[in-house]
Amino acid sequence: MTNTAPSTTDAHAAPGAGDFAASAHRVVKAYGRGDAEVIALDGVTVGIPRGRFTAIMGPSGSGKSTLMHCMAGLDSVTSGEVSIGDTVLTGMKDKHLTRLRRDKIGFVFQAFNLVPTLTALENITLPMGIAGRKPDAEWLDRVIDTVGLRPRLKHRPAELSGGQQQRVACARALASRPEIIFADEPTGNLDSRSGAEVLEFLRASVREMGQTIVMVTHDPSAAAYSDQVLFLSDGQIVDTMAQPTAERVLERMKGFDQPGVGAR
Amino acid sequence: MMTRVTLRNLAAHKIRLLLTGISVILGVAFVAGTLIFTDTMTKQFDDLFGGIAKGVAVDVRAKPVTTQPGDDGMSGEPVPAALVEQLKKIDGVKDPVGNVLGYTAVVGRDGKAIGGQGPPQMGMNWIGDLGDYTLVQGRAPSGEREVALDRETAKKAGYGVGDTAKIIVSSGAPRQMTVTGVLDVGEMMGSTIAVFDTATAQRLLLKPGFFSDIQMGSQGVDEKTLRDRVAAQLPNGLEAVTGEQVREDAKSDVASIMDFFRIFLLVFALISIFVGAFIIYNTFSMLVAQRSRELALLRAIGAARPQVTRAVLGEAVAVGIVGSTFGFALGAGLAAVLQSTVGTGTGGLVFTVQTVLVSYAVGILVTVASAYFPARRAAKTPPVAAMRDDVALPQRSMRIRLALGTLLALLGAASITLGLVGDLGGTAAGTTVGLGALLVFLGVTMLAPVISIPVVRVLGWPAARLLRTPGRLARQNALRNPRRTAATASALMIGLALITTVNVIGASMRASVDQQIDEQFGADFMVTSTAMTGGVPLDAAEKISKVPGVTSAAPYYAGNGVIDGKQAAYVAGDAAALGKAAKLEMRSGDADPGTNGILLDQDTAKARGVGVGGTVPMKFADGRTENLRVTGVYAKNDMIGPRFVAEDVHLAHTARPRAMLLMVDAGGSTTAKAGIEAAVADNPTLEVQDQAAMKDQAREQIDMFVTGLTMLLIMSVIIAAVGVVNTLALSVIERTREIGLLRAIGMGRRQLRRMIRAESIVIAVFGALLGMSIGVLFGTALQQALSDQGLAVLSIPFGTLIVYLVIAAIIGVLAALWPAWRAGRMDVLKAIATE
Repeated sequence: MTNTAPSTTDAHAAPGAGDFAASAHRVVKAYGRGDAEVIALDGVTVGIPRGRFTAIMGPSGSGKSTLMHCMAGLDSVTSGEVSIGDTVLTGMKDKHLTRLRRDKIGFVFQAFNLVPTLTALENITLPMGIAGRKPDAEWLDRVIDTVGLRPRLKHRPAELSGGQQQRVACARALASRPEIIFADEPTGNLDSRSGAEVLEFLRASVREMGQTIVMVTHDPSAAAYSDQVLFLSDGQIVDTMAQPTAERVLERMKGFDQPGVGAR
Repeated sequence: MMTRVTLRNLAAHKIRLLLTGISVILGVAFVAGTLIFTDTMTKQFDDLFGGIAKGVAVDVRAKPVTTQPGDDGMSGEPVPAALVEQLKKIDGVKDPVGNVLGYTAVVGRDGKAIGGQGPPQMGMNWIGDLGDYTLVQGRAPSGEREVALDRETAKKAGYGVGDTAKIIVSSGAPRQMTVTGVLDVGEMMGSTIAVFDTATAQRLLLKPGFFSDIQMGSQGVDEKTLRDRVAAQLPNGLEAVTGEQVREDAKSDVASIMDFFRIFLLVFALISIFVGAFIIYNTFSMLVAQRSRELALLRAIGAARPQVTRAVLGEAVAVGIVGSTFGFALGAGLAAVLQSTVGTGTGGLVFTVQTVLVSYAVGILVTVASAYFPARRAAKTPPVAAMRDDVALPQRSMRIRLALGTLLALLGAASITLGLVGDLGGTAAGTTVGLGALLVFLGVTMLAPVISIPVVRVLGWPAARLLRTPGRLARQNALRNPRRTAATASALMIGLALITTVNVIGASMRASVDQQIDEQFGADFMVTSTAMTGGVPLDAAEKISKVPGVTSAAPYYAGNGVIDGKQAAYVAGDAAALGKAAKLEMRSGDADPGTNGILLDQDTAKARGVGVGGTVPMKFADGRTENLRVTGVYAKNDMIGPRFVAEDVHLAHTARPRAMLLMVDAGGSTTAKAGIEAAVADNPTLEVQDQAAMKDQAREQIDMFVTGLTMLLIMSVIIAAVGVVNTLALSVIERTREIGLLRAIGMGRRQLRRMIRAESIVIAVFGALLGMSIGVLFGTALQQALSDQGLAVLSIPFGTLIVYLVIAAIIGVLAALWPAWRAGRMDVLKAIATE
């Protein structure tokens, strides 16, 4: 464990600076116009350190999913700048963004989002297939063994349990060795045991394979698996916590329920 | 409340319903267009014939002998001219006058005959004010070198009063005549009219001393009374009819042609609608599937099954009404276009209440009937589906489908066989075959999901190889819902099955004709007239037979007689020459019928139970019956047909003998052609063909037939293409989330478009293959059934079929354009978030 805590100061989080897998610089995201304008992100500056498991937490409507979407190049920003590694995403054409997502980013969604017509193995190798690349067989074997899906590879998603489906989704994200994996409420649709399995697996991939993972969640016990937690409220990063435990995260989250407390 | 649900849904799914609507619109447009166009044409003809025989109270003419209305309306036996004087003495008869009517073609300044592609080329006698024409320029013709022409013909030919015109009649060589007058004959829709004085007309067109008919006015007596008085005075073989009857006959002749034309077009409209029904069924099935959660919710909160069914059917009714309205408008547009190209352009379109009612009834009924099963299925959505994530609509087992589909297809095949082979006769046979085809289509459609799985897997293979992952995904998508893929492909199947059938028949006709000419045509040249009613003047036979190298030029006559009350077509001519030209093969007896004999083909002889030495009583066109001695029996011969009558007998019973064609024998040499052409160069209506030219001409006609039918069937293919668009568009919407995921993990827009395009091509090609297979089977069945009637050779045009397959693939590409564009445009985030 390094001591590099994610910095919330401009000085440390300049895009491209430091050893960040992804970073956001004064990112503003607004929806709608005029009176109907909603500010989802209000000048967020953050860097995601390489080789760490970062959780983003916050109450509903705090902008945590929006932040993730913007950082992953799924959504455009109103102002500010977003980077993956050294590449600035802001203003990029769809074609390049698509390629970037394909080559450098992995996704895990709450609703698994597997292609129902493909088998587990085909789903795992899908990003490489789209890119027209051969999967690295050795790496693929390791990923499959780590997620423990070997006996299920020929099954279609409909024949797998929720936990298994999500592990397939995780394996898909890992298989192409992306620079960073974004996980959006990966345990949201799972029972606690399956959820724990998936989180164990994500943590293992960070510790053993050096993967960088950003996870959005509202579940304190899920956040406890991470190396550090970023707290988001009203479109701004309000706090960070290293070596989180479920109790401490829960305690911190309770603060958001009371107006005034924890905000700025 | 449920009404509101219906309306909201209509509003929410405008585009999907518009696509459904297109199939309704196109189908209804075809029906409405046909009805409006034929109504308009009928009215035009009615107006046209309203002016005919205006002053005629009673007409005296020969009783038709054969049931077939005269081959050209001019073949009735002539009426003796002396009868006119007799008729004058009858009380009430006013101005009886004899008409002469026959074939006359006018050759224009450019050396080509005017008209002749359908509307008759007529010659008449001048009867002054009593005729259906008025002189607008010059004077009436008089003497054997003068003629008056109708204005249109004179204009087209480039003749004015005083010019010399070349006139062609069937009784002799072309002659030069002076144009003395120009006539106004009203709108004749392309017919040409030449008028001579009565003596000249009789000599050229009929027979001196005879008329085609005698018309008369009435003096204070009604038509029927006068008719009875006249009839009492007539010799045997003649009849008197009222002017009313004459006018009605003219109208009803046209009406029956228009009726046939209308039914013919409606059959194709029906095919389009049938295809449209598939599209509607498919769209509603998909809409219902996509809304299953919502429908389940309605059920969960207490909506009864019938209410859900009605809500879905309500949408169908709305689509039907809107589609019919646009369809009717489009149909009127189509009719206007058609009318301006073929019609005369006078008068507006005719809209009858019936047309409006039929259009709406067809549009609404088809939509509702097609949506009924999806609506029923919607009602069966279990209420718990509202709570569950993985909604599965109750799906019936494929096994029932397999059994039912096989049963229907077999029933259809049996029905087709019965219609083709059985002895049902005309309309009934046609209906049985049509019904059988319908059943086969339904059966194959039911089987199609089962068939689709292996076929699509194979068809998708190249896509998977070429496009890799997007191709593999496309193949999987096409396989994902075999019912949907199959229903979409089936719509395309129908059009292609029918087009393929037409093409197989066309190719078989070509091959059969070629074979017939090769194997059965013994003459070196054939001389025909380009004019439909013309025939070949006998003087041409004389001239040609004098050409060096020509051994003989024999007229080939065709006639209609009656044997035992049944119509009996026959061929007559010089037995030796025609026997050689037709390669007649005798089975027994003598090939020469002598002066009063008849030859029969094997089957005809057997059916009558006569052999050589027996007699056949044949009633001829002049009303007289003769017992013809059977001198010989020949093997079935396509060129001669069932009966061959001695030339002398035919000539004795025919007022104006006219050869249908001439068979020229040049001892196997082809060098005589230039000489023959030179011999008849003065008559531009004659055509000299060697065997190769005959094949070419037959080929041309067959190609026209194939092209014409294909054009009529293309509408159904267009509708089916709309169906492919529809299915893909709905699939894209249905798979929004999946597409979002693919985009999120790095699939480019281009790859996505390729994936959808590949799926579209696979579906289209699957439909085309199904259709072509059925078409080849249908075509083969038809050919087998008609092999006795000149369609002896089966030929499958593989080249053309491959072209159609490529076209199907192109249709697939085009159909994918919009859905693919839409999918590519989809917002990745929204796509992922979609529930």
